[in-house]
Amino acid sequence: MEKEILEEGLNHNRRKFLSRLSLGVGSLALGSLLIPDLFSGKSEAEEAMMHALPHFAPKAKRVIYLFQNGAPSQLESFDYKPELIKRMGEELPESIRGTQRLTGMTAGQSSFPLVGSNYKFDQYGESRAWISEVFPHTAGIVDDICIVKSMHTDAINHDPALTFFQTGAQVGNRPSMGSWLSYGLGSENSNLPAFSVLLSRGRGNGQGVYSKLWSNGFLDATHQGVQFSNSEDPVLYLKDPENMSRSERRKMIDQIAAMNDLSMKQFNDPEISAKVKQYEMAYRMQTAVPEMTDVSKEPESIIKLYGPDCLVPGTYAANCLLARKLSESGVRFVQLYHQGWDQHGNLPNEMRLQAEDVDQASAALITDLKQRGLLDETLVIWGGEFGRTNYCQGKIQVDNYGRDHHPRAFSIWMAGGGVKSGMVYGETDEFGYNITENPVHVHDFQATMLHLMGIDHERMTYKHLGRRYRLTDVSGHVVKDLIA
Amino acid sequence: MIKISSIRSILENTLFIWIGLTLIITLAGNALVLPDWLQVVGRSHPILLHFPIVLLLMGLLFFWIPGIDKKPEIREIGEISFLAGCNFAGITVIAGLILAQEEYTGEILTWHKWGGLAVFVGCVLLYFFRSIKANLIRFSSIALALAIIATGHWGAGLTHGEDFLLAPIQTDEIEVIPLAEAEIFGDVVQPILQAKCVSCHKEGKIKGELRMDHIKGLQKGGKSGPFVLAGDFEKSLLIQRINLPEDDKKHMPPKNKAQLTDEELLILSEWVASGASFDQKLVTLPPKNELFQLASVKFEGNKIYSFEAADPEAIDELNTSFRSVMPLFPESPALDVSYFGISAFQPKSLTDLKKVKDQVVRFSLNKMPLAGIDLKFLKDFTHLEELQLNFTDLDAEQLKIVSELKSLEVLAISGNVIDNSSLQNLSKMNGLKKLFIWQTGLSSQDKESIQKALPDTEIDFGFDGKGIIYELNSPIISQDKMIYEDSLEISISHPIKTAEIRYTLDGTEPDSISSPIYSKPIFTKKTGKIIAKAYAKDWKSSKGSESVFIHSGFKPSESSLAFDPNPKYKAAGVATLFDSEKADPPNHGQKWLGFQDDPMVLEVSFEQESKPTEVSISLLYNEGAHIFPPSKVTIQGLENGKWQLLASNSPEVSAKAAPARTELMNMNLGSSSYEKLKITLTPLSSLPKWHPFAGDKGWVFVDEVIFNK
Repeated sequence: MEKEILEEGLNHNRRKFLSRLSLGVGSLALGSLLIPDLFSGKSEAEEAMMHALPHFAPKAKRVIYLFQNGAPSQLESFDYKPELIKRMGEELPESIRGTQRLTGMTAGQSSFPLVGSNYKFDQYGESRAWISEVFPHTAGIVDDICIVKSMHTDAINHDPALTFFQTGAQVGNRPSMGSWLSYGLGSENSNLPAFSVLLSRGRGNGQGVYSKLWSNGFLDATHQGVQFSNSEDPVLYLKDPENMSRSERRKMIDQIAAMNDLSMKQFNDPEISAKVKQYEMAYRMQTAVPEMTDVSKEPESIIKLYGPDCLVPGTYAANCLLARKLSESGVRFVQLYHQGWDQHGNLPNEMRLQAEDVDQASAALITDLKQRGLLDETLVIWGGEFGRTNYCQGKIQVDNYGRDHHPRAFSIWMAGGGVKSGMVYGETDEFGYNITENPVHVHDFQATMLHLMGIDHERMTYKHLGRRYRLTDVSGHVVKDLIA
Repeated sequence: MIKISSIRSILENTLFIWIGLTLIITLAGNALVLPDWLQVVGRSHPILLHFPIVLLLMGLLFFWIPGIDKKPEIREIGEISFLAGCNFAGITVIAGLILAQEEYTGEILTWHKWGGLAVFVGCVLLYFFRSIKANLIRFSSIALALAIIATGHWGAGLTHGEDFLLAPIQTDEIEVIPLAEAEIFGDVVQPILQAKCVSCHKEGKIKGELRMDHIKGLQKGGKSGPFVLAGDFEKSLLIQRINLPEDDKKHMPPKNKAQLTDEELLILSEWVASGASFDQKLVTLPPKNELFQLASVKFEGNKIYSFEAADPEAIDELNTSFRSVMPLFPESPALDVSYFGISAFQPKSLTDLKKVKDQVVRFSLNKMPLAGIDLKFLKDFTHLEELQLNFTDLDAEQLKIVSELKSLEVLAISGNVIDNSSLQNLSKMNGLKKLFIWQTGLSSQDKESIQKALPDTEIDFGFDGKGIIYELNSPIISQDKMIYEDSLEISISHPIKTAEIRYTLDGTEPDSISSPIYSKPIFTKKTGKIIAKAYAKDWKSSKGSESVFIHSGFKPSESSLAFDPNPKYKAAGVATLFDSEKADPPNHGQKWLGFQDDPMVLEVSFEQESKPTEVSISLLYNEGAHIFPPSKVTIQGLENGKWQLLASNSPEVSAKAAPARTELMNMNLGSSSYEKLKITLTPLSSLPKWHPFAGDKGWVFVDEVIFNK
């Protein structure tokens, strides 16, 4: 008999078992006299924390993140540097470059000739923000957005920088922003995943995106990002096989749930209940997804707003439209990735094409949310993983140059959801190389985003492998200046 | 050795010294000018005070020891400690009175001062009358103990702040004022005056004849002149005095008192600059105003609601997979209700919300099919502030009900038709802060008139796209198969419903006048190419989209290849050529037969009496991958035991590389009296000069051979 009891004990998920055991002892004996959760693993303390979310009144309910993968050049978009045009071809002064490490692509270069934007800039809106000619639609909504010119990051290559932006750490295995929000705030609409991912590819030099960027990391699998594909089935494997009726499907799910419940009783592994929840959601998604992705009822003005490309599945414009529809349906975090912004060479030509693909639809999304009264509660973010160098990669040619990766200063924009509108924040030196005013680190950006969603970034934590993790790791400050 | 009795008598005598000194300081009061060394004595008050508290309380306790009268030794300990306590009380009181000269004022000081004096006097009296009735003594000892505690508490209040003791157990609920309701004077300026000025300018202590504890006093001013004059720094004494050097006698607050911080100085100055209003709301200032920016950080941007929260269980029950009911944030009683899922929408479920009708402040029914549903229930939602009804098929009657919701601040009804009467009704909603009426069919006059009627409402008419001409997307042609046997259904669609689709079946470009308009699926029994274009008002016509359809009338009964295809590209062998499946260009290895060293020599025979007269060969061209048109194609027929040439073709060699594409080569036989057909495709023997691999052998790729009559 004793052997059976022992086995039963060992069969429990080890961590869950230990945390339960310790919690029992802890609460029985020491109560609140000691550090309240000294002995508890996660469970109850964590649970109590979760019930208290959001920590304060949120300004935004949802996020749409238009990630420009590959790092669009700030110098050809929002950070106007006439000085670089004047100094075209001159060497980047040592004093400006300082100790900045370079990528392997330009570290061996004997010369770092400065290169100015090939595009014209002009000032727009009441904020008189400078925007380049390849973003005419963005210029049209400039008073609805807040341009941050003083972003900086730790990483210098795509994968670590992307991972850093999305998960707060350069190495993989941490939960993505969307997963954190799903964990913290849950889904508004329980028929759709709280975290959805949409991919598109432009005509410029591309960099890969991989599912680790929308991974749930150590969080429960229900918080993983669900990728919507551009095929006939937006969510793969969601359709019932031919000749299977809804009621049959229902029965099957109920049976599986009953079996899973049995295993849950036996093993007590939280992954099992996560699985049950996922089956349930998939069942409800079977009706919710086709309804949501249907563009046939969109009025014609919407198609003109986003551009006719929005009817071609898989384009950035179509994804922006879909993002609006997902967000409108209560999806907490919609993550877009648009590839093709890695202009190491041929920048003047490629970036124009890239901008052409994203400019109209990005601006359209803002206008569209606005005219539905949803912009106030939806935070939209546009930006890449780092910036690009002010010097040319390779040799400068007339009207042709490239730029390498630059983590020290780059530009993004945000709109809606409690962000100040019509503002340009932060400043860089006349070389566009270093930040001179109001730097915003990636962790500050993440802290600010969480703040807008009503979450204190220092308090939303998850205990894993003996330490508490948070999206902003161990740093980050809310940038209050950005908040309306 | 000193006897206890002599210590006692010394202590009894010193008591009178303390009493005398206390009397002098108390009566002389402010007239005293204290030397510096006395300040040190005064400041030792917070240290000294602990002695009398402990000693007196200990002494008092001894009166309560049962049978104490019969134990003189024990009684003696109590009495001595009480006497010592009285002495310390005297010293402490004197030090306290000196300290009080320094910088302390206010009501608590008064209480503490007189409480301390009372304790001192009470103790002395109790000591000398300690032998009277035990009951009376006990009663007075309780009173005295309470007085000691109270005095100590007031004193602590002076040093640490009034709420110091109970602060940790008091709920730290600070009344948060929503930004929208904050007043410049009441919520920003007055708290500063209250903290830094009012203690000397209030009822009972009206310094400079200025009362700052109510607005009337401020408006009246003091003996030297007006307190504030809107926008006038020169004449506003407030601004003058607070900006004088700190050493100036007239500087306010006086030296030694808590000074204004830089931020407070700025706020007061900006208040006067902005008009020194006593009732203006903070939000009426322009957002760029410095006062607004300084002050707005102090207020939450969220409205605080005074109504009761709904029962959490009821809220839980209301949350279903198609409806979310959530507090705005955890402690808020206000609820935000959203509906999701058009097909899951049940009108009846709206009545469930009665349970929370007082709590719902935001309600979203976007896209729900509300046609014909009585919206009167919304009138019960007395605190409803934001209502989202975009694309809900509302009629005039429903819009009328909506327009009568008095509490609404934000209304989104984009995507519903607003007729004239609805426009009139909406124009009366002057409580609205924001109104979203995009895509509602309003004319520009309508828009002007409603904006005129609601000057304070931010109205978003949205984007109508008028005047912008884009090119339409090409229509989407869908057909089951490219190669079919009996008949084929071809359908054409376009995502824009109003777009008109015109098509041709003869390979010519469709035009917007003579080409047939697509209305229903097309059935065909022929081989050909469909080209379709979309046309719509306000759009440029689309580029044509094309699709090829191939009728395959015959299947050979027997077929064989004289040479095997290249082993890398053999697909399913000869059967591949008749599987009626058109292969995609990239699928070289899967669906295409490839020939390089040997020609493709295909022999076929048919069962039917009447033989096919047309042969179509589907070929792949991809010059970059060395796949070229064959150099020669011949078709021979076996007639009376002899092979006769029925047709031949020598396609041109490609002049440049182009992306992978397929080509259908049609050949007419001119005879049907053959028994067998032999089709020969010869690969290019050497790639042309322009090719990077000029001179190498070319490839021929075939995926289908089709026979028709």
